[in-house]
Amino acid sequence: MGVERRYALASAALGRSAVPPQVEVEEHPTLSAISGQIIDISPHLVIVENPDGEEERLIIAPWATAWHGAQVAPADLPIGTRVMIRARQSGRVAERIWGDVTRVTGVILSLEEERRDLTIEVDCGPHRGRRAIVVPYGASGRIRVRHPQLEPGYLFDAIGIRREGVTHVRLPATSQPPYRATAVPAPPPAYRGVQSRISGAAAWSDAFDDGEAGAAYPMLEGADSDCEDAGVSCTGLPYLALGSMLYVGNVCEAHAAVLPIVACGCMAGRFCDRCVECGTSPRGRIVELSPASFVELGGELTKGCFNARVGLG
Amino acid sequence: MTVETSTLATAALAILVLLLIFGGVAKLATAGRDADPGGLSRLGPGVLVPERWRKPFMIFCAVGEFVLAAGLLFTRHPLPRWGTIAFFSVATYVLWELRRRRPDVGCGCFGEASGSPVGLRSIGRAAVLAGMAVVVTLVPVSGTDLWSEASLNLAESLGAGLALLVLLSPEMGEGIARVRHRAPCEQRPVPASRALSRLRTSTEWRSHAPSLTSEEPSDSWRELCWRFFVYPGRTAAGAETEVVFAVYLSGRRPPVRVAVVGTDGPGTGSDDILQESIGVSAGR
Repeated sequence: MGVERRYALASAALGRSAVPPQVEVEEHPTLSAISGQIIDISPHLVIVENPDGEEERLIIAPWATAWHGAQVAPADLPIGTRVMIRARQSGRVAERIWGDVTRVTGVILSLEEERRDLTIEVDCGPHRGRRAIVVPYGASGRIRVRHPQLEPGYLFDAIGIRREGVTHVRLPATSQPPYRATAVPAPPPAYRGVQSRISGAAAWSDAFDDGEAGAAYPMLEGADSDCEDAGVSCTGLPYLALGSMLYVGNVCEAHAAVLPIVACGCMAGRFCDRCVECGTSPRGRIVELSPASFVELGGELTKGCFNARVGLG
Repeated sequence: MTVETSTLATAALAILVLLLIFGGVAKLATAGRDADPGGLSRLGPGVLVPERWRKPFMIFCAVGEFVLAAGLLFTRHPLPRWGTIAFFSVATYVLWELRRRRPDVGCGCFGEASGSPVGLRSIGRAAVLAGMAVVVTLVPVSGTDLWSEASLNLAESLGAGLALLVLLSPEMGEGIARVRHRAPCEQRPVPASRALSRLRTSTEWRSHAPSLTSEEPSDSWRELCWRFFVYPGRTAAGAETEVVFAVYLSGRRPPVRVAVVGTDGPGTGSDDILQESIGVSAGR
């Protein structure tokens, strides 16, 4: 049975409205995310083929910037690059373009030094499998500063680019937690009931389908989600299920959306870090968003997180 | 006999005042803590009013309770006594209605502490309190009688009344669980097998079991303090249906809700089919 029917069935049993709640009008995102492959690009216009095979033509705003392993001018992105575009004006004006961006979040399994580059094998969770990534010598300083325990058993989270099937890491996505992946701190004792909105950090992950809107949530029952590692978090999160509707608000940008939980955030739950995008968020990674949802809520893919509030939709 | 009646009335007065003050303080605390009171557990009759009125409604209720408590304690005037009868009678009706229309919400009688779904115990408690208000109206005692009537009889009556209310308070079960587990129900791991065995012993299961076409659920998941089981079923006319059971995960005899939906009902956005099925089969 598809999990997308769960919300409606639960609503029938509990007498709730079968229509998922919507966010307030003032919180409605004015940004849109467009993903696809560049067919043609000039300083003023980009044409991409979206996952449905349709062509989309966007005007590149004069203030637009692009990232392709480093900050580049939008016109310098090579044709064929897979891009994620943040657009305004109903998706017609591109203002930020990320090319071939990928994120590696997981537990370090092994390290190997090849000439001056470092190859790390990372376990990205039961659904995402193992990935071998390359830390080029030029980026290793930045990575090592934020990942002081670069050894098996510790967590790793970095952003890079994917070229010809090989992931090259460029930026650390967070400061590495000081504990081993198996020693996640317990949530603080709850002396009161579950709060309606829980604050923490929201990250993104590239384990979703291209252009998919949705969220991965750490606090799922393992048996319901085919994910034995689920149900771990250092924040007092309530149990939800695949198919539940989750309110996710970006505290920094005042955008919010109600998104379906489509995956198990078993790796996100192991990160007990903070986001310092605007002020310091409370400890704990409470949700992992698909790149499209992250961008629509005003997040910067290369920064890796935003201060968020989540609650049941 | 007169002495006994006035002792009973004094005990009832003490209990009413105590509960009105506790209820008021708890409601104010819940309303003041968050901009969106009980947004997650969805508390109280407030869910029956539009969202922007929920917080003012809770505060209004709390202030009303304080006024009634003060009226009962400091005067013998009939107005606060009739007011208390009206308050608890309306509360009984509203809880009954809440249970029928929104079986997932708690009564909110003591703010966030009353998060478990409204059951017969919560409704019974409101009815008992309405009865106590009738006693206090018939025998108009006030706070000064509490001191003058102080005796072993009064202590016994008070103890008996409080014991009855403890029995009728669903908050006690969750309170004990919180002391044991240090986490609210929404955060406690509960094995699916335990919820399933609770479901199998419920009257909802017995009444719907003949229409089920499989022993094993086709889907099961947990959301907050509820576990859902979906079974394939068939109506008497032979149409295929899905029977959704929702089992509350806290308490020894937890509430169980059930709805029968057409296999093409939810998920296709057909709200009419859903609403019809709720009216027919949801609720205990």
